[in-house]
Amino acid sequence: MSNSLLTLTINGHEVHASPDASIIQAYAHADNAITANVGCMGQGVCGSCRCMIRKEGEREVRTALACETKVEQGMQVSFIDYFIPEHIQYYDITAIGDGWNWLEDTQKAFPEAEHCRHCGGCNRACPKGLEVENGVAQVVAGDFGAAADTFDQCVMCNLCTLSCPEHIRPNHLGLFARRMKAARTLRPVDLMRRLREIDSGKMKVEFDGELAS
Amino acid sequence: MSEHITGIDYQTALANLRSSDLTMREDLPPQDELLRRFHPDYQDGARIKLPIGPNAGDYCHPELAKLLISQPLINDYDLSGAEHLNTDVLVIGGGGAGAAAALSATEAGARVIMANKLRIGDSNTVMAEGGIQAAIGADDSLQQHFEDTFKGGHHAANKHLVAQMVTDAPAAIRWLIGLGMTFDLAKGENNNGHLSRKRAGGTTVPRILSYRDFTGLEMMRVLREAVELDENITQLNRHPAIELLSDEHGRCVGAILYDLEKRRLILVHAKSVVLATGGSGRLHLQGFATSNHYGATADGLVMAYRIGAKLKDMDSFQYHPTGVAHPPHLAGALISEAVRSAGTKLVNGLGERFVDELLPRDVVAAAILRECREGRGVVWDGQVGVFLDTPRLIAGDPDVLNRLVTLGHIAHKCGVNPAEEPVMIHPTLHYQNGGIEIDGNGESCVEGLYCAGEVTGGIHGRNRLMGNALLDIISFGRRAGAAAATSGLPLKKVRGGVGHVHNLQREMTRAGLVSEVKAPVLYPNYGKFDLREHAGLQEQQS
Repeated sequence: MSNSLLTLTINGHEVHASPDASIIQAYAHADNAITANVGCMGQGVCGSCRCMIRKEGEREVRTALACETKVEQGMQVSFIDYFIPEHIQYYDITAIGDGWNWLEDTQKAFPEAEHCRHCGGCNRACPKGLEVENGVAQVVAGDFGAAADTFDQCVMCNLCTLSCPEHIRPNHLGLFARRMKAARTLRPVDLMRRLREIDSGKMKVEFDGELAS
Repeated sequence: MSEHITGIDYQTALANLRSSDLTMREDLPPQDELLRRFHPDYQDGARIKLPIGPNAGDYCHPELAKLLISQPLINDYDLSGAEHLNTDVLVIGGGGAGAAAALSATEAGARVIMANKLRIGDSNTVMAEGGIQAAIGADDSLQQHFEDTFKGGHHAANKHLVAQMVTDAPAAIRWLIGLGMTFDLAKGENNNGHLSRKRAGGTTVPRILSYRDFTGLEMMRVLREAVELDENITQLNRHPAIELLSDEHGRCVGAILYDLEKRRLILVHAKSVVLATGGSGRLHLQGFATSNHYGATADGLVMAYRIGAKLKDMDSFQYHPTGVAHPPHLAGALISEAVRSAGTKLVNGLGERFVDELLPRDVVAAAILRECREGRGVVWDGQVGVFLDTPRLIAGDPDVLNRLVTLGHIAHKCGVNPAEEPVMIHPTLHYQNGGIEIDGNGESCVEGLYCAGEVTGGIHGRNRLMGNALLDIISFGRRAGAAAATSGLPLKKVRGGVGHVHNLQREMTRAGLVSEVKAPVLYPNYGKFDLREHAGLQEQQS
């Protein structure tokens, strides 16, 4: 642990922080009211603290999650608000059919997905290092199993959506594939049996001589 | 936690661990005595009697009592010019319970406004790692789930609520799968096979269903997407609720929200309200670090108490045994119980085990605090804790980090190679066991006010088992949402105000209680948010 504080800029404010601190910790202990872009504060699962970072002496701006990124001397940080694009194709997972129309369903819900121009913007934007562009191609090709794996650790920060020039919304496309796969194919035998035992009244909870309703 | 820290320095403790044959100390006091002497709930200054309100005379944590008996953020003269909205059901809180309630309310035909302090999904749900309990195994039954839960909660839970929740569990899993949530399968099985089951502390059989060790993330990203794609749900992100609205009969008929973007107050009138605001970990009770989300500041309890809702077990909190103890800037971050479930041992600075790692959480936490208090903890950089012996676990099961993805991540952040070095841990403030009393539909004693999730009390008694929180939010979230959708007065007859706040203030005056505290606090104190200043509200001329 070093005692010398680093100086960086967060949302235009000069902030002093211990070298061990993450950006979100530095921001939380600076003198600003914090009402957004914060959530799990370090676990890296909520995707709320997405930000743009420019390191001292570098031209390139990169994206990251502030709770998973340590502060550096001279770093410039700007948080990015969450936003929902104007045009969303609404789909209803409970209204889906038997699974033979995955390709048509995908085209209807995400008509832009096949326009991917392979610019790689989504891959660069992803703070989790997922192969987003590859995942988009997998969904378009109907390989939902592979796509489900590709997007397995997606935290829905929406940075890939922000970066996509074709308005594809890759994280939502990936989640669509994951949801379709589970909703249409996951039929655990032990769960089915237990549900039947409960529905038929064969299994219930008893206590103090009373039956639970 | 201001007491002087003594213990064994890290390097010595590490050498002790490596040369240890992991013998178990035999001097653990009986559970009752252990809890009484070492659990934070039982320490001096951990509870006082509430002087006024629906729970006058009942025990409550003093920090929470300060918020329950306090001044409101706004007064009725601040409301002139506020925008008005109306809806069938107002859901307050954007975590798993709120999302389940909102979806169930629209399934039942209601229009819903969902008010979120931060953004939908920003909640403890998304951070839940371990999993969700549901008795689906052939060696398991609803009865065993009921008994484990009731016993784990020290026989303090409401039996009807527990029985209902465990009976709901398999259908809750089916509902989640229907929305597109994935669960892990038993090794080598396909989608028509058996679900993978893990053991939780305090249970008789493996009963935890999970998705890797980020079950909450998988659950919340599916629920959030379902809510965002539901055209009958209006999302109001960054709209914290700051007070409920009551009518002249004391019924709950809506809430006052604060729009952080436009810096103005909004009155939402609703036929009924579902309060799903979560817990209070970010109040850092007793000075503990917390595993909780930034928004967990007890807002729902404060608003509900003011409108007359009765609370339960407000002096009972869960300290999760395995929070990070080192490095200091990560203190309190959670290491999932799944890590102990997988067989990892807890070891003190002398290289000894001191407790069965799979006992209920309050017992394990108290046992760790005992080791630290009696000088057998590990001390490093001014932090104290014990070791979670990951090197032995990984040596015996080299693939385990593929299942415990989050353990790998957090060890990396701690600067530890978990295959070589143990992680240093200390109990962290994790869950609010008590909360608003509800019936089987999630309704409080205030007509029109439904509640679900961590803000409620009575389901987990005085200690919650791993996996029952994610079950609680789905079981009661769905029930509260469905019941709220089919209850309440026609909107035309609804007219709400803050008369109930004045009632409590009069009670304070009569009892000679003076408070300068303004609540709900909305954000932790390091969030440095002042609503009146932010909104540009004038102070009243006195």
